[in-house]
Amino acid sequence: MKAKVGVYVCECGPNIASKVDLDRILETLPALDEYREIELVVKKYGLLCSADGKNYLEEEIKSNGFTHLVLGACSPRDHNKTFIGVCKKTDLNPYLYKIINIREHCAWIIPDKEKATEKAISYLRGGINRVLYQSSLFEKQLDIDPDVVVIGGGIAGIETALSLAGEKRNIYLIEKSGKIGGKSSRFSSLLPRQGKGLALIEEKIEKVSANPFIKVFLESSLESIIGFLGNFEIVVKSKNGNTDIKAGAIVVASGYGLIDPLSSESHSYSESDDVYTSLEIEEMLKEHGKIMTKSGKEPASVALVHCVGREEKGYCSRICCNYMIKIARYLKDQSDAIKVTEFHKGLCMPDKGDQSFHKAMAERGVEFRRIQKITQDGTKISFTGMDGSPGNADFDMVILAPAIVPSEDTDSLAELLEIPVSETGFFQEMHQTTDPVATSIDGIFVVGAAHSPKGITDSIFFAQAAAGRILTHLIPGEKIVPEVKVTEVLEAFCTGCQNCLDVCVYGAISYDESKGVSVVNEVVCRGCGNCFGSCPSGALRTKHFTNPQLYQEVREAIR
Amino acid sequence: MDKKVKKEFDPKIVGFLCNWCTYAAADLAGSSKMEISPALSVVRVMCSSRVDHNLVLTTFFNGADGILIAGCHPGDCHYGEGNYYARRRYALLKKVTESLGLESERLQLTWISASEGNRYAEVVNSFTEKIAKLGPSPINCRSDL
Repeated sequence: MKAKVGVYVCECGPNIASKVDLDRILETLPALDEYREIELVVKKYGLLCSADGKNYLEEEIKSNGFTHLVLGACSPRDHNKTFIGVCKKTDLNPYLYKIINIREHCAWIIPDKEKATEKAISYLRGGINRVLYQSSLFEKQLDIDPDVVVIGGGIAGIETALSLAGEKRNIYLIEKSGKIGGKSSRFSSLLPRQGKGLALIEEKIEKVSANPFIKVFLESSLESIIGFLGNFEIVVKSKNGNTDIKAGAIVVASGYGLIDPLSSESHSYSESDDVYTSLEIEEMLKEHGKIMTKSGKEPASVALVHCVGREEKGYCSRICCNYMIKIARYLKDQSDAIKVTEFHKGLCMPDKGDQSFHKAMAERGVEFRRIQKITQDGTKISFTGMDGSPGNADFDMVILAPAIVPSEDTDSLAELLEIPVSETGFFQEMHQTTDPVATSIDGIFVVGAAHSPKGITDSIFFAQAAAGRILTHLIPGEKIVPEVKVTEVLEAFCTGCQNCLDVCVYGAISYDESKGVSVVNEVVCRGCGNCFGSCPSGALRTKHFTNPQLYQEVREAIR
Repeated sequence: MDKKVKKEFDPKIVGFLCNWCTYAAADLAGSSKMEISPALSVVRVMCSSRVDHNLVLTTFFNGADGILIAGCHPGDCHYGEGNYYARRRYALLKKVTESLGLESERLQLTWISASEGNRYAEVVNSFTEKIAKLGPSPINCRSDL
């Protein structure tokens, strides 16, 4: 069948029409010798993306029976989807259409109208040649399972589960210890601006137990996982045996650990000394209601040492400054006579209310001492002040703020889930700034302190953000449409070197031992084309971005 | 070659731009109405890592005077780490182009984020100038693409 290509150039109001001679395009293209084998219809229109324009285009495609379509208009980033939508209303496969950007890449950057017109013609010729090499692609629709597995029963996991559970969605909460609540439930109280404090967390724990759509697995862990967004199959290992679960998404909320103070040469920490970690103080208060030394007396002087292990780890743990001032308040509330000194290396207190909290405690007599260096041996502390002068002091009690580190399960979970871990040892998000809860695997999210050191508020932010992503992406009863422009393997060319397996960040490629070739999971593939660049035998093809297609554009560029 | 002839020479440059960062920067430069050399023709790819050795060499063999590959800044790749792979392939391609007797400056890899419309314009214009000074590519064994 003879190809019939429709070429429509958009005036874009005056945006293109005033800078590019559209009539010259209309004259030039059909007259070109190279198109004598095909039927070419070239027309212009005022504003193709308007409602009228879309109707016009739809009618033109239908009445002309185009086999291919090229639009000379704006950036594909603006209106590619609009015109794919138009194609979908007709018999024309949307992957046999291409939008050519003659606005941002011609009209607006080349002041000379003649040159801009020439450039537009060149781009359009590339586009016409390219569409002739394009193939129809068909979207797939996949059923999904809306259920969600949450790994970790701390505050982040609890919040995720509570945000998601409902009539049409079951949540499986996997907790390695014997009860949910995580570290926050071990605190004596929460910071003042969190209202009723600990009761709020206990309320959430009760809500989880009472929710019929949340199933909690205690003393359990993840045994295996296969699948992809919408269709994961998970095995949970518990004391009483394994359970198979099907779920559409996985949320990792595996929490954090604390650095062992002894891993820093400047600190000492032993059972016999009156040296405690902040978490031990919280537990002591929760249990006994008072902060006491080992000999059962109230301490007359207490040193609070910030940033234990920060230099070794190379990052700030974010929440310690705040909770150390909270501990100072515990002490001052217990007795105003207790002399409290906070040794810090610069305070990190960015949230609203933090500064006034700090000021209030300073006014109550807590001494904040900024130092350059500190050495702590039992309850003896020597330090170098900011002016370089040395000092030392002995206290009745020393409380350390150990750096927050990834939980001990991080590496094994990362291996099971095939998601990366960052340099700091925490799970790596898809993008630190713009996509913080997603991971490189579609359908697996990371929340709470498993992502990076965080307080309760931030953990709740993250949990709700991940829940939001899942609620909008996995809608019960609806199907998902995976990326169409994916990579395929030409088995005859594949030598089985498996280079492509190594470079794929999505784990979309596997190796078929029996055939000796790579296999792309088209549902997982995002179509970046990295594997294509790594293939020594040309056995891969990036759909809609094949080399023959790109060569057509290149050929016009260097004509 | 006579220098005067070189001055009038209109280079043909192909820019393989990643969809997420540099193509968006090119759009931004366009919507900011910056003046950009028409010598460079944009070819959109999804990721700079998609630009394989065949694509680059075939483009040179067919007479391109310069090739610009541009993607997201390190750490900002839409696909995680594609641009790191692009960088490694580029290092290798530089050597290959040299061995073909092609000045290695004719191939350039750079990072331009979506917000760097200014930088896009600067990079394209200065790259065009550089290629114009170098003159036409010594390789031209135009095959049927």
